[in-house]
Amino acid sequence: MSDDAYLNLRDLDAGYGRTRVLEGIDLSIGKGEFVALLGASGCGKTTLLRSIAGFALPSAGSIHVGNRDVTRLLPDKRGMAMVFQSYALWPHMTAARNIGYGLRLKGWRRDAIAARVAEMEALLGLEGLGARKPSELSGGQRQRVALGRALAVDPDILLLDEPLSNLDARIRLTVRHEIRALQQRLGITTIHVTHDREEAMVMADRIVILDKGHIAQLGTPQAIYTRPASAFVAAFMGAENVVHLNATCSGHRVDIAAGPLNRAASLLLDWPAPPSGRLEARFRSERLHLRRLDEVPQEDANAVELIGRVEAVVYPGGEWRHTVRIGDGSVLVDGTEALAPGTEVVVRVPTNGLFLFASPVDAPTGTTPSATDARSPVRERLTA
Amino acid sequence: MRDRPTGAVSFTKRFPDKPMARLLGPLLVSPALIIILLLFMLPLAASVIGAFEVEGAYGLGNFTKAYEFYTQDIVFTAVIVGLSALLTGLLAIAIGGYLTLGENPTAVAILRWLYRWPMFIPFIVVGQILRTFLAKSGLFNSTLIALGLIDPLTATSYLDWRGIVIAFVWKQTPFVALMVAGAMASLDRGTIEAARNLGASRLRILVEIIVPQVTTTLLVGLVLSFVTMMGVLSVPLMINAQAPTMITADIAFRLNTYRDYGVANALGLISLAISGVAAWFYLRVNMRQGR
Repeated sequence: MSDDAYLNLRDLDAGYGRTRVLEGIDLSIGKGEFVALLGASGCGKTTLLRSIAGFALPSAGSIHVGNRDVTRLLPDKRGMAMVFQSYALWPHMTAARNIGYGLRLKGWRRDAIAARVAEMEALLGLEGLGARKPSELSGGQRQRVALGRALAVDPDILLLDEPLSNLDARIRLTVRHEIRALQQRLGITTIHVTHDREEAMVMADRIVILDKGHIAQLGTPQAIYTRPASAFVAAFMGAENVVHLNATCSGHRVDIAAGPLNRAASLLLDWPAPPSGRLEARFRSERLHLRRLDEVPQEDANAVELIGRVEAVVYPGGEWRHTVRIGDGSVLVDGTEALAPGTEVVVRVPTNGLFLFASPVDAPTGTTPSATDARSPVRERLTA
Repeated sequence: MRDRPTGAVSFTKRFPDKPMARLLGPLLVSPALIIILLLFMLPLAASVIGAFEVEGAYGLGNFTKAYEFYTQDIVFTAVIVGLSALLTGLLAIAIGGYLTLGENPTAVAILRWLYRWPMFIPFIVVGQILRTFLAKSGLFNSTLIALGLIDPLTATSYLDWRGIVIAFVWKQTPFVALMVAGAMASLDRGTIEAARNLGASRLRILVEIIVPQVTTTLLVGLVLSFVTMMGVLSVPLMINAQAPTMITADIAFRLNTYRDYGVANALGLISLAISGVAAWFYLRVNMRQGR
């Protein structure tokens, strides 16, 4: 247990009936920190949040807030307030009554409640809306009422269960920043559940990536984005292009043997290389270099070059997105210039955008990309 | 222009000038309409008119008679049915609330299995069961005596207004509870958890969070129960047919003993008016909620 940690989870197990949803979760969160729990549907992130909130009892392990063991305490005795995905506003109460209900339960005097509610309304930009019922508010306003209801009781920890998923895309972008700014202003410890990578990146101090009930990686947005610890995390963070390569590795050095679909390369990594043998190489479609096969190569050798043919090209905005067939699979590659379908190309992947992992034992032999393989486990989970 | 799908064109569009086509709609509705008119509206109208018929002429004679003889029973009926509806509502909320908030799965399962049974027992059987149960030497009193709660000498029969209320509540609670529990089960669980998260006790959650969200369903159930209870003859006859009794018993008495259709019709109209008040109340609350 680290000294500056405020919320501590130790070896936490939880589940429903006989299904184990979470196993051996260890997590320490500092006071005032904003942590995002990120993962695909069914990874256990909501169960983890509900265990912290006290709505799901863990089957093993402990939860401490400060020096207090709250593992078995009732939800309201933990000093935490939750904002629900559906907002869960009480439809028969006005916005002001919704916000003030927690204080009424605490036995506050009526004028004190009114003052606190007014303070919350001012904080969240809800002035003049207090007398409205939830059905008379927009999605964004309801979301802020839900936030106001949670913050009114001045909790030590704020729990957010996908609070932005019911908002339309444009409002979501502004609300992200509003919530983050509010959290920093109040300095409140916050745990935010989301399946949206970008949302987690822009809002959180640290991100916890969950996969099948385990923590797959824990770190700052930048660390997770640039240094994914596993193929799963890399895929989740957008490195969905995959090729398999044969390589000899030692220390930070990776020597890639030439194959039918790739040229030989000798790479020097900033981080320790995986063990020699078959490697799963993952990369994003951005920051690659795409050129015609007959063009003169660049001199910088610190990159992997893959040989393929353009299958399709679309313009999603910014750069042209090419679907490049490499062997049996295909990868997505962005380029400043549109190359016509049928063009033979070289895809150059620089080492700082290349993530290498030891291949799973059942990986196919030879250089076979499988980014668009529909059976890819990550894709399956992402689209589930 | 695209080809028109031939099969989907309506009858009247295909044959705009054929009068047959225009008559087809009403023709198709007519069997149901005729049955409603003949078997429901007509007898109702006849009864309403009959209520104002006194020896060949029209007047309020039947109503003055009903008022003179049966005012006490009319008040008695309204109070008994109103009280029964109130108690039914409270019990239904308690049952629905326990089914929604109960934390002991076994107890919840048992209650869920048990509470519906009285729904399948006819009123006449309910009257019969309670007649033996609530009598002076019935099981209810024997149990109280065995428990030492009352003295054998002070044991009284419950076969009066209390018996009728118990019978009505016993029979109607499952029906209202079924509706209310269904509405409670379909609430957003988040609204309950949000209250629990802020420290509301289960009773407060029930009263302040759950019940306000199921008011409409509760009122529908209670109005339907109210109207049903207004029309029950078997229970007052089985449990307490002496004065004061319910309007239904009086109507049966006027018809069977005196063949006095006039006063019977007038009493029928009065009970219809009492039911109407309940329906009006329901509509008013419903409209206010809709706004």
